[in-house]
Amino acid sequence: MFTKKKIIAFCCACLVFLAVDIWMFSTVKNSFAKTIAGVAVTLAKTIASSAPGADESVPAWLDHLNTAYPGYSFFYCKGLPGEEGFREMGGDSSLAAYWAQHQSDEVFVKGVESASYLEVYTAPETMKIGAITGSLLFVPIPAETQDSAAGFLLMAADSSASRSFFSLVNALAIIAFVLFALAFGIATFSRDPVTGYVVLALFAIMLTFVAYPLFEAVRLTFITNGRFTFDTWKTILGNNQYLLALWGSIKLGLCTATLSTIIGFVFAFAVSRTSMKGKKFISALATMPVISPPFSLTLSIILLFGNNGLITKQILGITKSNIYGLGGLTLVQTVSMFPIAFMTLQGVLEAIDSTLEDASLDLNASRWQTFRSVTLPLALPGVMSAWLLVFTSSLADFANPLLLAGSYRVLSVEAYIEVTGMNRLNNGSALSLLLLVPTLTAFFVQRYLTNKKSYVVVTGKPSMRLSNLASKGMQRFLSVFIGIVIAFIILLYGTIFAGCFVKNWGIDYTFTLANIPEALTRGKDAMLSTLTLAGIATPIAGILAMVAAVLIVRKKFPGKRLLEALIMTPYAIPGTLMGISYILAFNKPPILLVGTGAILVINYVIRELPVGVEGGVAALRQIDPSIEEAAADLGADQPTIFKGIILPLIRPAFISSMSYTFVRSMTAVSAIIFLISARWYHITIQIYNFSENIRFGLASVLSTALIIIVLLVFGLMRLLVRQSEHLEKTVSIR
Amino acid sequence: MAAQSVPVKLENVSKTFRDPKTKAEVHAVQNANFEIQPGELVTLLGPSGCGKTTTLRMIGGFELPTQGKIFIGGNDVTYLPPNGRETATVFQSYGLFPHMSVEENVAYGLKIRKLPKEEIEARVKKTLELVGLLDLAKRSPGRLSGGQQQRVALARSLVVEPQVLLLDEPLSNLDALLREQMRIEIRRIQKSLGITAIYVTHDRIEAMSLSDRVIVMKDGIIRQIGTPNDIYEKPNSVFVAGFVGKVAFFPVSLDAFNPEGSFRCTLAGRRLNAGSKADDIAIGGTAVLMARPESLSLLPPGEGYADGTVSARVYLGSSVEVYVKTQYGEILVQVDDPAGKKIAGEGEAVSIDFDERLVRILPESKEEKQS
Repeated sequence: MFTKKKIIAFCCACLVFLAVDIWMFSTVKNSFAKTIAGVAVTLAKTIASSAPGADESVPAWLDHLNTAYPGYSFFYCKGLPGEEGFREMGGDSSLAAYWAQHQSDEVFVKGVESASYLEVYTAPETMKIGAITGSLLFVPIPAETQDSAAGFLLMAADSSASRSFFSLVNALAIIAFVLFALAFGIATFSRDPVTGYVVLALFAIMLTFVAYPLFEAVRLTFITNGRFTFDTWKTILGNNQYLLALWGSIKLGLCTATLSTIIGFVFAFAVSRTSMKGKKFISALATMPVISPPFSLTLSIILLFGNNGLITKQILGITKSNIYGLGGLTLVQTVSMFPIAFMTLQGVLEAIDSTLEDASLDLNASRWQTFRSVTLPLALPGVMSAWLLVFTSSLADFANPLLLAGSYRVLSVEAYIEVTGMNRLNNGSALSLLLLVPTLTAFFVQRYLTNKKSYVVVTGKPSMRLSNLASKGMQRFLSVFIGIVIAFIILLYGTIFAGCFVKNWGIDYTFTLANIPEALTRGKDAMLSTLTLAGIATPIAGILAMVAAVLIVRKKFPGKRLLEALIMTPYAIPGTLMGISYILAFNKPPILLVGTGAILVINYVIRELPVGVEGGVAALRQIDPSIEEAAADLGADQPTIFKGIILPLIRPAFISSMSYTFVRSMTAVSAIIFLISARWYHITIQIYNFSENIRFGLASVLSTALIIIVLLVFGLMRLLVRQSEHLEKTVSIR
Repeated sequence: MAAQSVPVKLENVSKTFRDPKTKAEVHAVQNANFEIQPGELVTLLGPSGCGKTTTLRMIGGFELPTQGKIFIGGNDVTYLPPNGRETATVFQSYGLFPHMSVEENVAYGLKIRKLPKEEIEARVKKTLELVGLLDLAKRSPGRLSGGQQQRVALARSLVVEPQVLLLDEPLSNLDALLREQMRIEIRRIQKSLGITAIYVTHDRIEAMSLSDRVIVMKDGIIRQIGTPNDIYEKPNSVFVAGFVGKVAFFPVSLDAFNPEGSFRCTLAGRRLNAGSKADDIAIGGTAVLMARPESLSLLPPGEGYADGTVSARVYLGSSVEVYVKTQYGEILVQVDDPAGKKIAGEGEAVSIDFDERLVRILPESKEEKQS
């Protein structure tokens, strides 16, 4: 707490640290400056020794110097000023003007004098000469006899490189001081320093890996050639092609969201309001596409309906089918995203108390009337929410359009092409920021809807039994509909599996096993590096998520709202934007990470953190805070409580957060496609490359392998979570 | 088992919260000053929201006072975290670790203190014996009854030999019969260990039956500190009088001080002498006369101080409660030893008489008038 003594001690420590800090960093700067000066002198001597004796070859020599040493300018004089035979031989014009203006200055006189003694002289001050800001050297050109100067060379050396190094060093010095002051302040004034340090660390992580990259991305769109302009945005918003891509994204989102919500609702209704058989099987299959790797469904759509598709060409005999474009995209996105709507709506429908429907039926309403006037209105906020969730996912989707868009334009792919194809990073980040507009709108509307806590939740004890609202005919219709969708999903997965054993899909359907060894050998490195990095990211993300959840639910500290917002931000941000902002921010000092495995791990952790945190928060809210208070009361400190009490109690959330991170990292595309390197490759990109090169067999094998890994992880997670189920029952709630 | 008993002292302790929604300041506790003697059991009593739990949590270190200082055994512990002070809390919801057995729960504090294994085992066994749970040591707390969970929580707090035991409404989740039993148990254990204890409750009977002294709080302010007898018989305000027991109030004017020690006052034109008065009332002003049901008796109409009709009669065995409707409101009269007595029935006209030794004069209450 704040007492006079502590404040004085704190100030003293800060001053001492500041002094040491300044001393250390200025030492670094000085030694760097010395090295640079030494290098310049050596260079000057080398250049001087190459000076030609004959006057006629001087212009050629000067030209050669100008082209060979960019960042330097030269001006050559023969003889010494005031002496006989002094001649200005020419060189850089602004340097010449500078010489003419200042040649009688003390520095210049001294420089010329040094040169006459065959010593290189460096002017002590930085000078601005023409386009060059830097140091000025007086370099003697030795006479043939080597004992006197035949003339001298004025050499201006640009020091912008060392200036930017100095500003970097200054920034580091300031950061070091701020970190020290914060950490020491927490240690001095806080009752709970550990929490303070964790908050500080989390803030540092979030500012560095969420706020800073996004800031860089936004900044780039407003800066061209070092100046603030709206040029980038003018180009983007003035170009029909880009606007078409925006409209394309939105159109696709509308189609996918609407179709997915309808199908999702039918599934949810069937599972929660009918007596249909095989509900578990339906649920399991309907959730498959969520966890299946990217490209796999697209791949099988192409295999079935593409130009050489099994159904289009072989069965129907259509040669000019075109699955690429809006239709195909809607199809594949709907199949892969309707499970989101299904899971949301299943939760919504199960939360609606069936006694309400029973009451309606009891008052002689028909099933259809009951559905229309009771069930549907109560579920409506949930339906909206599901629609918006799918809409956001569709807009952010990158993998499906990348393979299947054809000439149809969507923003995420457009941004990717701008960056990797055209090397126009500013346009790429502007496009991905543009994508943020509809995404964020949808995100906030969805948040608003779910936070409004519709009356559905507060109807009291939900009865365990759910009413059956479908008449026989209706149920038959639903069964057929669901059967068709399920059959289609099975067909898609079956196709991938079949694709592994076919020699050349579309042309030669001979059975072969050759794909498997080839795919596994060629994909081995990518697979290993993906597994390694995902394996590293998983525990980090899990623990970080749980720690953040504890801070959010249990602790009070300044800036909590901001930290919460920073943690949740990546959830609303399309992967494309995330990837582009990461290359912008981490391709230069002070944090140079592009090309390393670390940037991939960080990206996995940061992107999957929000979901883990939400899970942890929900789990913690179920736990009586006096359990932790009791532990503190008995003498346990924060880390002990976290390890011994909190983590075991929220184990299910911890495990699901970890497995979620692992699976999502294994199946990531949109952000990491910008961040991979030859050393750290990703398996999904390998699948993409195989498909682009029409090696469908190889792509199928890797997809199948990935699906198997994902299923194994989820199976393992279920097993582990089930083991700790007994906990939830005994956690007392007030 | 307990270490040296220590005193607890609060000096001008205040706690102000900021309501997260309205942003308004809430004064949960204002200027709390009291001292608890070593080995004493003191109860913080008051209606919900009166600041009693906040006070306890500040002593336990879970909340930081906005102002003031807290001393335990003479040391300033105001800013120490819970794990830095020698208090042990029994929580209202027990806060048992659901993933540990009874034994592990009780051993937790000792393990944190890194005691040798044999000592932990011995102390856990001894404490479980004390609360009578030795045979359930291996059970998970989720499979215990409420009373058993309560005992585990108590044992877990006692085993670390705290200097001060804090109990936050520990019996509120138990049924009536069990509550009575546990009350006696807690008092027995506290007495036998001689440990300083602070007990929070909103139940006046619990407070009266357990405590050496009671601190009555309302709206964050301490209204009275005293022994159970004191606060029942000699409350200083209308609020305390009403909160610690059934009582009837009559508006009077305080006239004079009688030489034999009683106070002369006037109720609706009739003189009477009250046995005692609260400190801060001056002679010559208006005041309130408080009368407990047992200090009232029934007379034929016109003979007592207030006439009325009986609106209900409740037979309780050892006594009969008669509710009389008068101009001062419905007044409860308790008639003891009813056997053989003739007691007025419903609708009968009666008059109410005071036992002058037992009635007391209190200052008028501003709050009461408002409500």
